[in-house]
Amino acid sequence: MSKFHSKHLFLSVLIVFLTGMNVYAQDPPDLQPLPDFKEVDPQKAELGKILFFDEKLSGDNSLSCAICHDPSNFFTDKETMGFGYPGSLYFRNTPTVVNAHLSKYVYWDGRLPASDLPTLVRDHISEANFMNADGRLVLERLRQVPEYQQQFEDIFGGDPSYGRTLEVLTAFLKSLTSQNVPLDNYLKGDENALTEDAKAGLALFKGKANCIQCHYGPMLSDGGFHSLGVPENQDIFKEPERHITFRRFFKVFGVSEYANLREDWGRYAVTKEDEDKGKFRTPTLREVAKTPPYMHNGMLATLDEVIEFYNQGGGAHPNKDPLLKPLGLTEEEKQQLKAFLESLSGDNFSIKTPRIPGYQKRTLGQN
Amino acid sequence: MNNKTKIKFLKLMAALAVCAMSAVFLNIKSDAQLQERFPNLAPLPEVPQTPDNPTTEAKIELGKLLFFDRRTSGDVSTSCSSCHDPHKGWGDGNPVSKGYPGTVHWRNSQTVVNAAYLKKLFWAGEDTSLESQADSAVTGNLAGNGDPDTIEERLAQVPEYVRLFKEAFGVERPTYPLALKAIAVFERTVVTKDAPFDQYMNGDKKALSDSAKRGMELFQGKARCIQCHNGPLMSDESFHNIGVPKNPLFENDAQRQIALRFQHYARGVSEEVYRGADRDLGLYYTTKRPEDKGKFRTPPLRYIEYTAPYMHNGVFESLEEVVDFYNKGGGDDPRKSPLLQSLDLTKQEMNDLLEFLKSLSGEEIIVEEPPEPPYAVLDE
Repeated sequence: MSKFHSKHLFLSVLIVFLTGMNVYAQDPPDLQPLPDFKEVDPQKAELGKILFFDEKLSGDNSLSCAICHDPSNFFTDKETMGFGYPGSLYFRNTPTVVNAHLSKYVYWDGRLPASDLPTLVRDHISEANFMNADGRLVLERLRQVPEYQQQFEDIFGGDPSYGRTLEVLTAFLKSLTSQNVPLDNYLKGDENALTEDAKAGLALFKGKANCIQCHYGPMLSDGGFHSLGVPENQDIFKEPERHITFRRFFKVFGVSEYANLREDWGRYAVTKEDEDKGKFRTPTLREVAKTPPYMHNGMLATLDEVIEFYNQGGGAHPNKDPLLKPLGLTEEEKQQLKAFLESLSGDNFSIKTPRIPGYQKRTLGQN
Repeated sequence: MNNKTKIKFLKLMAALAVCAMSAVFLNIKSDAQLQERFPNLAPLPEVPQTPDNPTTEAKIELGKLLFFDRRTSGDVSTSCSSCHDPHKGWGDGNPVSKGYPGTVHWRNSQTVVNAAYLKKLFWAGEDTSLESQADSAVTGNLAGNGDPDTIEERLAQVPEYVRLFKEAFGVERPTYPLALKAIAVFERTVVTKDAPFDQYMNGDKKALSDSAKRGMELFQGKARCIQCHNGPLMSDESFHNIGVPKNPLFENDAQRQIALRFQHYARGVSEEVYRGADRDLGLYYTTKRPEDKGKFRTPPLRYIEYTAPYMHNGVFESLEEVVDFYNKGGGDDPRKSPLLQSLDLTKQEMNDLLEFLKSLSGEEIIVEEPPEPPYAVLDE
């Protein structure tokens, strides 16, 4: 290596190091608007939208993505915990898919990175307690629908494939990005975008209530995992179909205590670190007013309950984050904080249920 | 290869062809020779022992409950008995099985009766034990679409099953592989071995009518059935292409076409074969040898009266149609077995053959569906 090169390398390392220091120096962390919306291929997003509503993507043709991520409920199911494939019930709350592609991780335990959305979609289609469908069978179903065959031809110049199916669904998900959010407009300089209450709430958010410790950046999330001591939802163990799904999940993730486990260990299933027991992903707060109930198990029904939960310093858990302390918020402050949380919602999406094209017989032997 | 060796080679081939043809011709000539060449028909022996999964009363009781339990399928809609219904000959009565909700199956559902004797299960012998057959059916996407881990936890949620698994296997928790074992043990009790034919072979000379007796002679002689349907099982458990006609279902039903293509895709055929898929290729999916296209395992013939429709695609509704098909020398397929030739059976002979086939059935075996033992909330 020449002298010049080694010097160059040293400088690069130094710059990276100092830049890293600089990020740490941003204390306390701040809020940022969402990055500018990147247009997705409209043809792919449109086909993805139809498939999002198509029950042919589930094993027994009974569920579409839109059944649990219902556009009329802001892409959630409004339940405390999801239901899932017929014969099973799920043990965690169904998050909205809006902005999901901008997160760091997906699922409450962060078991997949959001940067790999096709895998997220694939996981939902094939997972036994979600849609329980074999990808090859889904593909053959799509090939039996002349409209789909044609649309895949138009977009990709060839047959439907499972990969292409995941790709168009991903395009649709990426089109679901918050637009025209009051907070973002405010952060970009529109002083009138927030009400006075919301502005006071923002100050509390960054100050006395200290939400910003975990909810910061453009997604209002640190992308990390924390235990808040949210009470266990005992319905998991009172409803046999939920308890079955719960045990099956922890068994499949190699948690040897699954048979007698009576607590959702969250992140632990992924890392197997004791300190991660009871930790869940910091969710984004974008669109939070539209996505009740709250927390990984839906135990908090309203934003008021959530604010009160934090006001009391969270719940009880051995791994509870020491960042959580009683806040001593007044009633007025709680309402201001709520007004701020309500300013995180953008325009509604006008997604109508599309017509789902049906099977047609093909000429046998010309596949 | 120069011209001289080419000619020598062709001469050799011609000689071989003559030998082969005369061998076939000789077979036709002598019924006696035909009978000697193949394992004799015989009454069924006891069900073979399975040392790795011996039969016990506790396993039978458990396996029977599981056989009828819909929670062994993905969406708790489908039990073994949904497609192997005791009231429909332990098949499902359809030409091609109905399959899992949202799908249809692609082959005729075969009877469970006497499956205990088989070393090759399914129409193309894809499984080699009842235990592994049960696994394939539970998890098959067109059959049970079940997830073993979920099923295991469902069983653990049923106190009655926890008790029965402990009794049958000495385990504290139900497991999926043990569930398969219990189902297999139950199926080994679904046996008929005292059909009139068996009684006759065991010495009761009045058990068969004169017509059936004549049919039995034809079966082993002029009708040539014994070439493949031989031994106590009446199956050589080998694979043959008999040129079964295509079932028009696959021309006309979009869902059947999905099932057919899915099987081609899932079984790993070449793109060319997938693109041209228009029929069930049978043994070919397993071996990928072109000569195995259209070969299916010789089914045993016990209980046949109750198991219509017939063939892997259920294309024949009655035994009369089956006998007629063989009388014409089978179907039209370039790979058809040379064992099949037109038989020139008279009407009387065909009736006699039918009488004999019916004597293979015996009493109908009915097991009533037990109630599913319920889930319970589990104590801590």
